[in-house]
Parts: sequence; structure tokens; C-alpha cells
Amino acid sequence: MSERVQSVAVVGRDAPVWLTAAAVQRALGRTGVRVQVVELDSRLSTVDVYAAVPSLASMHRLLGLDERLVLNVCHGVPMVAQRFSNWAKGAQPYFIAYDDEPPPGGDLPFVQFWAKGRLEGLRAGVQEFSLGTACARLNNVPVPAPEHTGLSASYGYHLDAGLYSELAKQLALRLGVEEVGGPRNIHVDGDRIEGIDLADGTQIGADLYLDASGSEARLIGHLESASFESWGEWLPCDRLLAANAPKMPTLPTFSQISAFNRGWIGLFPLQTRTGVVAAYRSNVISDAEVAELASVVARIPISGDAVVSELRPGIQRRPWIGNCVAIGHSAISVDPIDALDLHVTHGCISHLMSLFPATAGDFPEAAAYNRSVRSFGTNLRDFQAAHYLLNGRFDDAFWDGVRDVPMPASLKRKADMFDARAEVPLNDDESFYEQGWVELLLGCGIQPKGYDPRVDSLSDEAHIQKVQQRLSDVSGLARRMPGVDEFLGLEQRASAEVSG
Amino acid sequence: MAAVALVSKIPPSRCRIRLVESDEIGIVGVGEATLPHIKNFNDSIGIDEVEMMKAAKATFKLGIDFVDWGFKGSRYIHPFGIHGSAEAGLGFHQQWRRSVSEGRDWDLEEFSFACMLARDNRFDFPPTGKTTINSTFAYAYHFDASLYSQYLRRVAELRGVTRIEGKVRDVEQDSETGDVRALLMESGDRIEGDFFIDCSGFRSLLLGGKLGAQWEDWSKWLPCDRALPVPTERCGELTPYTRVSAMDAGWRWRIPLQHRTGNGYVFSSRFIDEDKAREELLASLDEPTLAEPRLLKFQAGRRTSSWQRNCVALGLSSGFLEPLESTSIYLIQIAIMHLMSLLPGRRHDQRLVDEFNLRMDIEYERIRDFLILHYHLNSREDSELWRYCRSMEVPDTLERKMRLFSHSGIVEQYKDGLFTPPSWLAVYLGQGLTPAHYNPMADGIPRDRLLGELDELHSDIRDRVDEMPKHATFLARYANSEQASEALLHEAEVRL
Repeated sequence: MSERVQSVAVVGRDAPVWLTAAAVQRALGRTGVRVQVVELDSRLSTVDVYAAVPSLASMHRLLGLDERLVLNVCHGVPMVAQRFSNWAKGAQPYFIAYDDEPPPGGDLPFVQFWAKGRLEGLRAGVQEFSLGTACARLNNVPVPAPEHTGLSASYGYHLDAGLYSELAKQLALRLGVEEVGGPRNIHVDGDRIEGIDLADGTQIGADLYLDASGSEARLIGHLESASFESWGEWLPCDRLLAANAPKMPTLPTFSQISAFNRGWIGLFPLQTRTGVVAAYRSNVISDAEVAELASVVARIPISGDAVVSELRPGIQRRPWIGNCVAIGHSAISVDPIDALDLHVTHGCISHLMSLFPATAGDFPEAAAYNRSVRSFGTNLRDFQAAHYLLNGRFDDAFWDGVRDVPMPASLKRKADMFDARAEVPLNDDESFYEQGWVELLLGCGIQPKGYDPRVDSLSDEAHIQKVQQRLSDVSGLARRMPGVDEFLGLEQRASAEVSG
Repeated sequence: MAAVALVSKIPPSRCRIRLVESDEIGIVGVGEATLPHIKNFNDSIGIDEVEMMKAAKATFKLGIDFVDWGFKGSRYIHPFGIHGSAEAGLGFHQQWRRSVSEGRDWDLEEFSFACMLARDNRFDFPPTGKTTINSTFAYAYHFDASLYSQYLRRVAELRGVTRIEGKVRDVEQDSETGDVRALLMESGDRIEGDFFIDCSGFRSLLLGGKLGAQWEDWSKWLPCDRALPVPTERCGELTPYTRVSAMDAGWRWRIPLQHRTGNGYVFSSRFIDEDKAREELLASLDEPTLAEPRLLKFQAGRRTSSWQRNCVALGLSSGFLEPLESTSIYLIQIAIMHLMSLLPGRRHDQRLVDEFNLRMDIEYERIRDFLILHYHLNSREDSELWRYCRSMEVPDTLERKMRLFSHSGIVEQYKDGLFTPPSWLAVYLGQGLTPAHYNPMADGIPRDRLLGELDELHSDIRDRVDEMPKHATFLARYANSEQASEALLHEAEVRL
């Protein structure tokens, strides 16, 4: 019998490297696996924010990381939804929230009933039926409700990136991960990593190397058969500018994502400041222009220096090669839209853990990992690409050009089925539920022209009643949810300060 | 099935349904075994379980008992349920695999509530909304397919389907679009429609005959091409499972119904002639025959696009996969479900057609691979068919699944399509493929705690199974058709 994997070296930076190491340590530390982190210089500065979809909460549960602690330490604010403005001419802003799916085997998805109602004159948009959206509009947080309306929603977080990375590091070290310092040289032989020379002159070797270095792909990118597939065709932004703005007087529980004529600008609220991010294409607008535009578009004063970085969306064709597994952006480099940065890291970790190699040496698990990560990444790409390719900003040269690019077939299928039947067929390894896709595609301007004919088996009265019921359940429940200040315990703190 | 489903789920304002059928044309089904999805289907269209079971002389089914498949003398059950407790999740078999490495000599089957229930010929409903060990399974039925279809026909007519008796002479097509316009009947009648559903069996009158759908031949992987069904009396204890026994040139089924037992030999004409097959079949039966075996011919494969223009083919008119895993009725049912959600209006919408065909491609391919697995994964040296199947090249999609499992017991998962990881697991292990290693995460629990928990679960299953009634007793109380009731009650009394 071949030997077990006994040692794992994780190379990378910031939150991804520590989350990855912590996850492996937590699952396998007890079995004697040694996890060492080779840390690269941070790419974060004081302007950076992690906006994270709700999957991060399940990662925290897995790692035993308490939500309160995360929010307090990282100046966090719950992200109940994202609000998209100016993505189409004359259109109202729309939200993408994270409503939970009803248990399987029940009724047809509610969107079917909505779509029929809409075709017959219903005025309420699909947004009115989403608990997450209703909460976001009230700046409330959808915590688990005691009542059984069958409705619930999840939320993600806005976190200070530097503080969160430090928290992840402390957690990993407490779990037993070893920190061995930075690398001086990485030895590669064909498709294998042979060892790493460290800055202090020592050398380490491991049975398995994990590359959490981000889009730099410090390990996997140097292997002989590594090859990167660009998604620039569908995700056109190649520059990212990040800056700081003051704390918003009233904390919103959503990110604000506004398109402008040559890109988009996002606002991510924290308890102490507001992160501002702009994504754009360098050949249509300069960094300096964006820096000037940002405060105008975002209607918020920018303070201090802006930090610019490059974006190169795409995927490693084989994110696991030989003894090296790419995790997070080194495997799938996503666009900054939709708050998927840490989600990509989390998704890769999950796939790796369920396929964790049974033996060291050759790894038959690699093929399965490569397939899963690819379908996981492709689904995310399609979600992000829809914002761009289906934009409704006619007569803006940049956006017109983007709209002319043909959709990937997998996205076309979803858009077609939504247009024809108000249905979004989901693939394996999807991150968003159907409801998320529905909000996205409607926001992109696709109004369904048909619906599942089985909806018609409900009488008109029953149909109207069902729709009304849902409407009042959602608005009633959303109103009873705690406001963001109450949720964060800011009310008490404020009064304590006054009295103290 | 299509007529009842459509009339039940789609209101008359949307479409009117007519059923064209001839009493002169017999049906292929002899005794049919189903999958648990049939219950969802029946429930969703408002079929009463007791009434249906009485009408179709149905019995309960917890899985399939495979005899002599991986090698002669082997036996395993593919259960309609999971292995281990509901909380343990998909990693349970990794823990079981570790316990074997630690020296325990037990089958994974002993941790499947459905398998243990089946082995003991017992049955009761799984409690709903619970996570106890006795809720870790689902069930299906064995029924007389012709009685089931008669029953559905009555329901369909009661619910407003117009039935037209007669034979189709020809089909009229639109000369420009190729759409089917009308059925021309032998009686001289002309039956028009906006949309046609072809349930004409192997003949595939509309789809194959008129629309010229291509046939994709899968017989190089699934070489069986003949079946000899024969009914026998019903004797012995009533099993809550189908038994399928490997034979030299194919396999033999045994399906217990309330009033008789369905049997048959599915074989490959490349490896045995009909007379020899008949001889082997008759020699192997447990019970006296009620009729002569009659020969059916088929070929494994499917028509590539079963929706073309304004016509969808269901069941045998769209393809055929051998009945080893009871997938025929499932394929009809799932095609109906997809059709209902994609049913077009008057205008042709190619997007709906493509979506339907894509979904059916996925269904067919996943079932195909699962069936091939049963043939390919064997170590039988005693006959040519089994040697051929072992050495044949299988689809890449299957090859990679087997490679992954044989290394560390990982079962590839997918969202769409039939057969979840517990099914794959049962067949991999049952056919003799034991993983070389297990997932290291299973080492996370201390050895003694793991073995203690497994011991406890093992005896819990045993105890709870013992409390369940015998299948025959339960059925007699629940849904016996009148003829069978006395015999069953008698049988139950004798045993009690």
C-alpha cells in the first residue's frame, strides 16, 4: 500500500493562503498531516475590502470561526444583497439577494407563478417577492425566523480585507498550521514541484503543494503543462482601482454597483469606512480618469490614494497538475463583480477536500478535481458575463462593443430558457440558486414570454391568492427582521459611549 | 402515462388531449419492475396508491437482488436507499472501508436498512420527515404493466381524455415545414392535432417512420438483443425485491406480483441461440409456468433527438435500454415531465426542442453507463459473453468514474439524471470493485469511537428490521387485489 500524504505546503498570500491551510489542518491535522505555509508578500493595502457571498458563512462554520468575532474584528457589515444601478438605459436599479431555496419536491418555483401573473398584468416585480431584497431595502438582516412561512434568506459580508486576512492567519496558526517564512526559490521539474528554498536559507519539501498565490499562479503557472485560458472576451475589464471613502452615515446592508460609460464602480460599506472599487478596461479609460470619476459616479468623497491592479479573468485548463493544486484565483481568476473572490477559494477548497488524495505519488483525483473546478468556474463566469454581455447601455461605445460579443453557449441556454419559460436550467457545481439567476437575467432586461404550463392547473383565484400571500409574507417578515445597527450591536455600543 | 399526466397537470383551456389506441395491438410489457420515481409521478398526478396497487396487482420493491453477476456465487442488492445513517452522509462508506482495514469483516450492505429489510422479506413505509435509520429508503412497485396501463386509461378517460379506437394507416405532414398535420386512420378518419406524442413502441410510427430520426446503436456495449418472458405461478415467500440472475449469455429476471411471478431471459443472440436459451430458462425457473415463453427482439440504443418538429416520442418509440435496472418506465416518466414543462404553444420554438433533447441526452447517457457497468465489471471466466464484456472498451464517461472509485472509493456525483451515489456504490462493490484506499478524512475519528458507532448502528438496523412486518402480511392488509387476498392471508397466518 502506498503512503498517505503526510505533508502539505501552501504557498500564497492574504486570506486565501490561511483559509486553505486552516481547512486542511482542521480536517487532517488529527491524522498526522503537517501543513506548512510559505507566505508571499501581501497584495492588500488599507483600501481593500472583501465582499463575500453567503458561502463564506458555511466556510466559517467548518473552520469553527464565530460570526460575531469576524464582524467585530473586521469591522464587518452583513451583505444581504447587491444593488445594480445604471446597467440599462432608463431602467430601475435591481437587487441580487441570496434567498434560500425551498426544499426539493414541492411546488413549481415561485417565479413561474410570478411570470404568469406578470403576463396577465401583475404590477409587482419579482423583487417584491424576495425576502433578501426586501430586507436590503430596509437595511435589515434576514436572520433565521421563528415563524414558518417557508421563506428564508442568507447573507454574506463586507469585511476589511487586511484585518480578515490577519484573523484567518491567527486561526490557522491556532489550529496548528506552521508558518515557515517567505520563499527564495521554487524548484520545478517538468510537472512537479521539487521543493522550496526559503528566505532563511532552509529548504522544505512536501507531498502536496497548494497554490493560493492568486492570479500570479506562482506555483502552477511554472509547471510544464500549465496553460491558461483567457475569459477576457466575456469579462472585458482588465484594471481594478481601489480607494477609501468615509463611513456612510446610515449603513446599508448591500453593496452598490453602478455602471458608468466605461466600466463600473462598487461601494462596499464597513463599520469604519467605505471601500470603493472601480473596474474598467485600460484601453478605453486611464487610471487617472477613473480616479477622478469615481467620486462623481459613486457620489461619495474619496480620501487618500487609490491603488490600481491588473485583472486577467480566465481559468487554468488543469488546475491540478502533478503534485500541485491551484486554489482560488490561481485556478479561476474571476471578475470583481458579484463578490465571488473568497467564494472561488472556498469552492476550490471544498472540491479538494472531497477529493483529497488517498495516497502520495500519482494522483488519480486530479482529473476529477480539474473537471469539477472547470464546471464550477464556468458557471461563475457565465453569471458574471451576463452583466456585461446583456447590458442595456445603448449608445455607449464601450458597452455596445461588449454587447456585440456572442454569449458562451452555456449562458445562451440559460438566457433562452428564461426568455421562453421563466426557467433557468442549472448545471452541476452551480453557486447561485435559480432565484439569483432570475434576478440577474430580469435585471439584464429579459422579460419571460412564457411559463411552465402546469401553472395553469391552478385556478385564477388560487393563483392570485398565492401571489398576494407571498407578497404579504415577504414584506411582513422583512419588517420584523433586525436592522443592521441592532444586528451588529452598534446601538448599545453607541449608548454606552454616550453614558460612559 | 402521457395522457393521464397531461390531462391532470395541464388544464383544458391550454390543450385538449386525444388518445389514439387500438385494442388489436398487444402490449410488450409482461410484468414490470419500477423505480421509486414512479411513486412521485403517481402522487403528482393524483393517483391513489391503494387503488392503483389493487388494480395492477402490485407488490412493493426495495431494490434488486443481483445473483452471480461479478462472479459465480456472488450476490448483492442494489437498494433504493442509502448506506449508513441519514446524518453520516455520503462519506459513510469511507468509514465502513476504514473499519474493514481495521479488521472488521462486514459487508456495506449490512448498513443499508433497505437491503436488510429486503433480505428478510419485510416491508413497511419509511416514516416521513424523520432522520431515523428506518427512514433511509424509498420504495417502488412491481406491477402488471398491462393492468397498470388499463388503469391509467380509465383514469385518463374519467379526467377528460377522448380515446379513439383504431389503427393508424398513414401520417400526413406539412409539405413545407415537415410538421405532422394529421393521423390518417384505417377507418378513413383523419385526426388533426397541433402536437403529437408518439407512443407507438418499437415501430416509432411518427418519429422514426415519418420524421426520420437517426438511430444510435449501443449494442457494442449492451449486447443483449432478445428477451424470452414467461409467467409462472406465485409460490414461496413474497420478496420485496426483483431478482436478476446472471446466465451464460445474459440474465434472468424474477418479478413477484400479487397473482403470479414474471420471469424472463434477456440474452444476446451472438452468444446463444433461441432454442438453447428457452431450454436454459425453463430449467432455471422456481415455479410452474402459466404460459409458453414468447420471443421479443430488440436492439440497445436510441433515436438521437426524440423531439422533432411538433412531435415527441416516448418510451420504446424513442429508444430501448434493457430492463436490468427497471429504467424503461422511468424514461417514459421523465420524458413526460420534461415535455410538460416545455410544452410549446402553437408556434414552433426550437429553443424548447433543443432543451428537451439535451435533457434526454443526459438521462440516456447516464443510464447507459450505469447499465454497462454491470456487464463490464465482472471476473467471470465461464462464458464468452462475460469475457467479451470485461474486455470491451467502455465510454470515457464510465471509464473515468471507475478509475476514481477503484483508487479511493470516490463516487462521481451529478445533479441531473438517474442513479445517485448510493446506487453506484452498491454496484461497484457488488460487482467486485473494492477501492484500494479510502479518503484520509475518514481517519479523523479515533478508531475505537468509529468502531463503537458502527457496532451500534449495525445492531440498531438489525433490531428495527425485526420489528417490521413481512411483505406479504403488510401487502394483504394494505392493497391486496381480491383474488390474491385469501392466499396471502393464508400464507401470512401459516407463517405467524
